[in-house]
Amino acid sequence: MAEKEKILDRLRQAVILGETEECAKAAQDAIDAGIEPLKAITEGLAKGMEVVGEKFENKEYFLPEMLLSSEAMYASLDLLLPLLKTDEAETKEKIILGTVEGDIHDIGKNIVKAMLIAAGFQVIDLGKDVPASKFIEKASEEKAGIIAMSTMMTPSLMSMKDVEDQLEKKGLKGKVKTIIGGGTATEQWKSRIGSDAYGKDSVEAVNKVKTLVEEIKAAVKLIEKRRKKKRKK
Amino acid sequence: MTLGREEVERPGQVKIVFFPYGKREWFRRGVSLFDAAKALGIDLSSLCAGKGTCGKCKVKIEEGMKGLNPLTEQELKHVTEGEIEAGYRLACQAMPTTAVSVYVPERSRIGKQRLQTAGLEVQVKQLDPFVKKYFVKLLKPTLHDSRSDEDRLLDALNSGYGLPTDLDLDFEVCVDLASRLRDADWAVTAVVWKNKIIDIEPGNTSHRCFGFATDVGTTKLAGFLMDLNSGKILTVAARMNPQIPLGEEVMSRISYQMMEGQKGIKELQAVVVSGINEMIEECCEEANVEKNEIYELCFVGNTAMQLCFLGVYGRYVAFAPYPPVLRRGVNIRASSIGLTSHPRANAYHAPIIGGFVGADNVAVILATRMLESDEICMALDIGTNTEIDLGNKDLVLVTSCASGPAFEGMQVKHGMRAATGAIERVSIDPESLEINYRTIEDKPPIGLCGSALVDVPAELLKAGLIDLTGRFIPEMARETDRLRRGLKGIWEFVLAPQPETATDTDIIITQGDIRELQKAKAAMRTGAEILMKRLGEKRKEAVTEEDISKLFMAGAFGNYIDPENARTIGMYPELPLDRVEFVGNIAGTGSRMCLISKEERRYAEKIATTVKYHELAADEDFQKEYIDALYLPHKNLDRYPDTVNLLKRLGRIK
Repeated sequence: MAEKEKILDRLRQAVILGETEECAKAAQDAIDAGIEPLKAITEGLAKGMEVVGEKFENKEYFLPEMLLSSEAMYASLDLLLPLLKTDEAETKEKIILGTVEGDIHDIGKNIVKAMLIAAGFQVIDLGKDVPASKFIEKASEEKAGIIAMSTMMTPSLMSMKDVEDQLEKKGLKGKVKTIIGGGTATEQWKSRIGSDAYGKDSVEAVNKVKTLVEEIKAAVKLIEKRRKKKRKK
Repeated sequence: MTLGREEVERPGQVKIVFFPYGKREWFRRGVSLFDAAKALGIDLSSLCAGKGTCGKCKVKIEEGMKGLNPLTEQELKHVTEGEIEAGYRLACQAMPTTAVSVYVPERSRIGKQRLQTAGLEVQVKQLDPFVKKYFVKLLKPTLHDSRSDEDRLLDALNSGYGLPTDLDLDFEVCVDLASRLRDADWAVTAVVWKNKIIDIEPGNTSHRCFGFATDVGTTKLAGFLMDLNSGKILTVAARMNPQIPLGEEVMSRISYQMMEGQKGIKELQAVVVSGINEMIEECCEEANVEKNEIYELCFVGNTAMQLCFLGVYGRYVAFAPYPPVLRRGVNIRASSIGLTSHPRANAYHAPIIGGFVGADNVAVILATRMLESDEICMALDIGTNTEIDLGNKDLVLVTSCASGPAFEGMQVKHGMRAATGAIERVSIDPESLEINYRTIEDKPPIGLCGSALVDVPAELLKAGLIDLTGRFIPEMARETDRLRRGLKGIWEFVLAPQPETATDTDIIITQGDIRELQKAKAAMRTGAEILMKRLGEKRKEAVTEEDISKLFMAGAFGNYIDPENARTIGMYPELPLDRVEFVGNIAGTGSRMCLISKEERRYAEKIATTVKYHELAADEDFQKEYIDALYLPHKNLDRYPDTVNLLKRLGRIK
């Protein structure tokens, strides 16, 4: 037991210090020691990323450290993810993520991606300069409940509005929730275009996504309850 | 959108932003704008100390008028109806309940914003303006010589000066040509622009021929009244760009066009034109020149400014792949956009290179003569967008980096523009950690301007207070109590404790501020690195620091920064300091050159088609280079041997 705990701690430390090789090694050791892959991810990697997030919050960590930690985590995930049981992989909430049309900056988006994965979400990354229609198509195709959009530039903020407008047109507003972020996005802009959340950085983005997921679950429950009631009648 | 990023509410508080300082802070609801300004150390003038009796503290409310109390009786005594219409209030009487952005006009300030206008003086190839004046005496018509008035004039210009006989005659001049010639007793001066006579003046006025050259910057306007006969500057004026309240940087301005449509486009244009007209007025008065003696105006601005100035819809320039609307130089009648000058004066806007590289950069290449140099040169025009040029006569590459406004004092807790009371220099003794600073006009400090924001991280690094990743070293808090944990436990460093400052707080630099500055400098450094790589590929031999014979630092801010500190934090590649040359407002220089010389103007057009634009954000190496450049001075220390030596000597690295 102590041995397994030690390995989990190595995973955490490797993520915090951004040590890619050590992180992959620890993942292999975890597998060899018979630690459940899901446990290695949630108790090891995710816990490490949590610390990374805190350090970023108080500005001790900066972009290079965030990227190193992300890389370390990915190296480990490459080994662990394929071993997840299919039901474990499928129960994960799906997030459609991308830099909106008109913008090609994606450093921030990539960090958010890592933080979301660490938090247990399945991220479908559409990359950069993503047209509004692509976000929506992918969300329908993957039955994802959340679209997360990023941009660094002011004018491409308008592309976020495009996504909201198209959701409205397709009658998906409310069914698919959106969150915005990036260098020029603001809380004010979120309200103006009718998005559901704004994350000022990667840590806040993850927290907000969690809240959105809770909201969606609550809404689904409510609908089911009503349905059941109807059936009873 | 000018109220900034953090739009979140704070209970019982209001956010107030003061322009042109760019200082912003939260205050308790019900505070007067006057008290808020005082708390921030803004030099608002007042004789009555805020009683509402002197009327000196007039400010213009740019945003958030609705949340203010109604005009008070005192105000009605001091603020005119026109001013009320325009949104003026007395700062001591206005109390906001919601967020406001406030503009402090020049006349309500005690101190002055420092505006750099001087730039390198460059010899033009040939003094040869497009506008020239020719004095001619015409022969009166007789029965034997009944040529038309028009032919009479053209013939005289031909025989006297060899001008072609097919010159155009502006129709507005034709209308009363007959009386003009006769009233002047057939002795007139023809004003010729290109191949067109734009005016006929009585008598000989050929010694009075003027032009106006302008640098239309995102934050600053600079204007030069030029004597076109001598090519000399007569008078100079400068202003903050009055478009700032409509959007602080180019992207916000373009989005203002997008949000407000035609009305916004016209408004942006009208506002900048009025700023230029003020400068024209000021320059003319000082030089004793009539406004209608200005026959041509030349403008140089970045691509977004070009569009805002010409009143062209710019939406698409803001979206990848950022295509500009126009590229060639543009000639329009100055009066058609409301510029005050001769009614038929031409306004020329110099050509641009691409979506993010405008006429201001054409001016840099023109004035530094980079495209004629045998040796490779680099030019750095530092601003919210920093343009970088690299190359020589074979090829010049240019790129634009979104360095952001951190070095202009934005997004930095106590950052501000270079105005009275701004700390402009900082040094920290690496042994005793004693701090020395200098402020503009030696007034008690109210904030930090760009040049200090270059010094601070460099000095902190040399003093061992931050490490190469830019992180404050917590153990140093034992050595000095200036290093402390502030809001939310985030580290901060006190540069000027409250008793010394003109504000009601210590002036500090936070860990978050340092992160913003790292991002800004990394963007510039990444631009330089990628241009070196790409130029090397094009030339088929690597371009190293060795090969760069000259680094031109342009821009107002560039003139005040300490080149060594800028190098220590890795703002540019490590070159020997004697290769760094400060060239000041070189966009202004280029504007003047295009005004007084046909050849230079033609050459500017050539530059715009010859220089190759490189899209930085689309470059495959961007992300990696950017991350490496975030370190101080750089991840790859081999590239900074001198700086590394210095830090070793100081014991900062082994």
